[in-house]
Amino acid sequence: MSARYCVASRVSPRAAALGGVNVGLLLWRAQLQMFINQTIRSGKSGRIVGTIVGAAVIVLAWSWEAIITWLGVQASHRLPIGVDPVHLLSLAFLGYTAVLIFSSLLFSLNALLLNPDLDLLLAAPRSVESVLAGRMVVQILRLFLLSLLFTTPALLVLAVANQNPLIPFVFAALYLLYPVFVVVTISLMSLLLVRFIPAGRGREILTLFGVVLALGVNLANFALNPALRDSGFGRRPNVAPSLPDIPAASASWSPSGWAGRSGAAILRGDWSTAAEWAVLLLAVSAAIFVAGTVLSGRLYLAGWIQAVPPRRRHSTTRVRRLKGAIPLLSPVLASIVIKDWRMRTRDLAQLVRFVMPVVFLFVIFGLRFPRLLSGVRSLGDGPPAAMLGLLPAWILLFSLSISLGLSAVSLEGKSIWVFAASPNSTLRFLQAKCWSTALPTASVVALAALAAEILVRPGWLWAATAVLLAVAEAAAVTTLMVGIGAAFARFDWTDARRMIHPVAVFIGMGLFSVISGVSALLLVISLALAGATGFPLFTTWLAAMTVSIGGAVAVAALGILIGNQRLRELEVS
Amino acid sequence: MLSTRLLTKRYGSLTAVEDLDLEVGGGELFGFLGPNGAGKTTTIKMLVGLLRPTSGSARVAGIDIMAEPEKAKARIGYVPDAATLYDKLSAREFLEFSGDLYHVERRLRDRRIEALLKLFDLADRGNDFLSGYSRGMRQKVSLAAALLHDPQVLFLDEPTVGLDPQSARQMKDILQDLCREGKTVFFSTHILEIAERMCTRLAIIKQGRLVAMGSLQELRHMVGQDGQSLEQIFLELTGGREDDVSAVLRGLES
Repeated sequence: MSARYCVASRVSPRAAALGGVNVGLLLWRAQLQMFINQTIRSGKSGRIVGTIVGAAVIVLAWSWEAIITWLGVQASHRLPIGVDPVHLLSLAFLGYTAVLIFSSLLFSLNALLLNPDLDLLLAAPRSVESVLAGRMVVQILRLFLLSLLFTTPALLVLAVANQNPLIPFVFAALYLLYPVFVVVTISLMSLLLVRFIPAGRGREILTLFGVVLALGVNLANFALNPALRDSGFGRRPNVAPSLPDIPAASASWSPSGWAGRSGAAILRGDWSTAAEWAVLLLAVSAAIFVAGTVLSGRLYLAGWIQAVPPRRRHSTTRVRRLKGAIPLLSPVLASIVIKDWRMRTRDLAQLVRFVMPVVFLFVIFGLRFPRLLSGVRSLGDGPPAAMLGLLPAWILLFSLSISLGLSAVSLEGKSIWVFAASPNSTLRFLQAKCWSTALPTASVVALAALAAEILVRPGWLWAATAVLLAVAEAAAVTTLMVGIGAAFARFDWTDARRMIHPVAVFIGMGLFSVISGVSALLLVISLALAGATGFPLFTTWLAAMTVSIGGAVAVAALGILIGNQRLRELEVS
Repeated sequence: MLSTRLLTKRYGSLTAVEDLDLEVGGGELFGFLGPNGAGKTTTIKMLVGLLRPTSGSARVAGIDIMAEPEKAKARIGYVPDAATLYDKLSAREFLEFSGDLYHVERRLRDRRIEALLKLFDLADRGNDFLSGYSRGMRQKVSLAAALLHDPQVLFLDEPTVGLDPQSARQMKDILQDLCREGKTVFFSTHILEIAERMCTRLAIIKQGRLVAMGSLQELRHMVGQDGQSLEQIFLELTGGREDDVSAVLRGLES
C-alpha cells in the first residue's frame, strides 16, 4: 500500500464522482474483455462448450422462472391473498441488503488486499478518489447485472400480465440505485478494516469472514426460525413455517421502504408515485456516492490504508516441530505427508476445507441429536443399527474425500516443479498424496464412527466391524479421489476453491454415490440372504462388506493409474 | 558432463528449440545467452526433465535424461527463474523437505541446511514463512535447496535476477567455487557483464537455434573483431537493432 506517496488531489467532489464513473466503466470494459477472451475467444473447445452450456442453463432457468411467475400471477387473480405488496417488496430489498453487505465486503477487501491492479490504477493520471470510486462503480454494475439476471423473466411476465411495459425499467432503476448506499458504506469500512489486516493474510481473512457468516446464518436460522427449533426431523405440530417479519423494512425513512414503495407503485400502475420514491432513492444515492468518493480519497491519502506487517516467527518461540518421520513410511513419503499437513493447517482456506465438514456435521446432527439417537437405537442390535450409526461418518467421508482428495495434487500449485525436478517417480508422488489425504480422513472418519457406534450400541461385534468398514472405505474412497484429482489437476490456482476442477467434482460425487448405493444394496442383499438361507447374518454381512470394499479398492486403483498417466504426461512449462 | 544432440522442442507450429547440439565438460561455468523468447528456459527445462523434447537427446552426468530421468535428476540441481516455493513453509522446513525428496541422509541434511542458511545469511530468518521473503531471499532459498544434495550439474535460470549487489556477488563466488570443485554450472542470464567475467564458455541462442558457442575469445574470432565486448558480440550475433530503436523513440517524441 503506497498511500503516503500519493499526491493529494484537488478535484471537486462532482468531478471526482464523475471521474469514478469513468474509471468504473473502463474497468468494467476491461473485465468484460477478459471474460470474452477467457470464454468465447479462448479457442479452447472445453471453455466454449462450458460457456454454451452455461448460457443454456440460464435460458432454461429463465423459462422456468417465467412459468412459475405466470402461474403465480394467475393464482393471485383467482385466490385473493392478503399480502401488502409494499411490505413484501421492502422485506425483499432488506433481505437483498444482507447479500449486498456480504458481497461488497468481499469485493472491497479483495480489491484492496489481493488484486495487484490497484497500484497500477493509482499510478495512472487519475485522482485517488476517482480510482476508489471506480471500484465502487464496478461493484454496483456487477450487482445490477446479477439482479437483472435473476429477475428479468419475472419482470417481463409481470409487465405482460399487468400490461405495463414500465415495470422492468423501474425495477432496473431500483436495482441500479439501491446497492449504492451499501456499496459506498462497505467500501469505506473496508478502507478502515485494511489497517488491521496483516499483509499477505487477506485471502485468509476473507475465508474466515465467509465461514463466520455461513455459520452465523445457519445458527441464526436454527435459533430464530420457529419451524426449525426442534430436536428431531419433525416440525412442531402447531407451528407453521414462517419468515421472520421486520416491520422497519417498509418504514418511510429506510431505503428498503423507498424501493419497496416504488416497486409496489409501478406494479399497481401508479407511475408518478413510483417515480417519486425512485427519485428520492436517486438523490440520496447520488449524495452518498459523492460523499463516499471524497471521504474514501481522504482516508486513503491520510495513510489509513497501511497493512499490518507480517508477523515474524521467532526462533526462540518456535512451535513444536514435526520431526519429519512417520512410522512405516519412507522419508520421501513422510516428508510429503508432513509438508501437506503443514500447508493444510497453516493456510486458513485449506484448514477450513478440513474443519468445515465437521462443524456442519455438528450443525446438522448435533442440534437434533437426541431424537435421531433414540430412533436408531430402537432398531435394536444388528447390522441395520450399526450401519445407520455410520451415517455421520459417511457424510464426513463424502465431504472430506471430495475436498481433500480432489485437491491433494493441485495443492502443489506452481510449486509442482519441485517434484517434477526431483528424482522420484510420479507413482511415488501419488502414493504420498494418498497417504497425506487418507491418514487424516480415515482418522476423523474412524473417530466419528467409533463415537456413533458407542452411542448407538448395536452390539460390540457389529460395531467393531462397522468401524473397520468405515476406515477401509475411507482409505479406498480417498485414494480414488486423489486419482481423480490428479487426472484433473489444476496447478495454476492457489485459491482453494478453484484448485478442484468442476468435472472432477462431478465424477467424484457420482462415483461416491455409486459406492454408497452399492454398499447399501449389498447390505440389504446380505440381510435378505441370511433370512432366506439361514446362513449366519454376520457371515453374509461380512461377505457383502468385503465385496463392497473390494469394489471400492479396485475403482481406486484404476483412478490412481489414470491419475498417474496424466502426471507422467505433465510438462512443467 | 552435459551433452545434447539435435534437441528440439515444438509446441504445435511453434518451434521453441531446434536441433540444439551442446557439449559442456566437468568444472565448466557455462553461460547460456539469448534474447527474450529465444528458448533458453525451454532448453534448461528439457535438460532438467521438466519438459519432454519433441526429438533429439540429452545426457546429463552421463545419463540419458529421458531414458532414466530419476537417476539423472539425482545428480542435478535446478534453480528456476522466479521459483515458486511453498508459502506456508519456513525456509528450514522447505530445505528439510527438499533434502528428503533428494534422499539426503537426515543428519547430513540437517548439517548442510544449517551451513547453507548461514552461507546465504538466512540463519536468523530460517523459521519465517517463505511468504514473507523477498524475491532475492527466495532465490537464495531456491539455490540452497539445489545445492543440498551436492549435485554434479547445476542449472540456473536467470540466477541473479532480484538479488542485491552483495548477494549477486556472493552467488558468483559460490558458482565459481562449485566449478573449482569439478562441478558443472549451466546458467542463463541477460546480464552480459556477469557472463563475460565469469563464464569459461558461452553459447548464444536465437529463435531456438544455436548461433554461437565457445570461449569469449572464440566468439570474438567468430564475429571477426578482436577486443569487442560480449555485449557487442551478442548484438552482432542476435541482430540487435539500435538504429531502429532510435528511430522509433524519435517518432514517439514528434
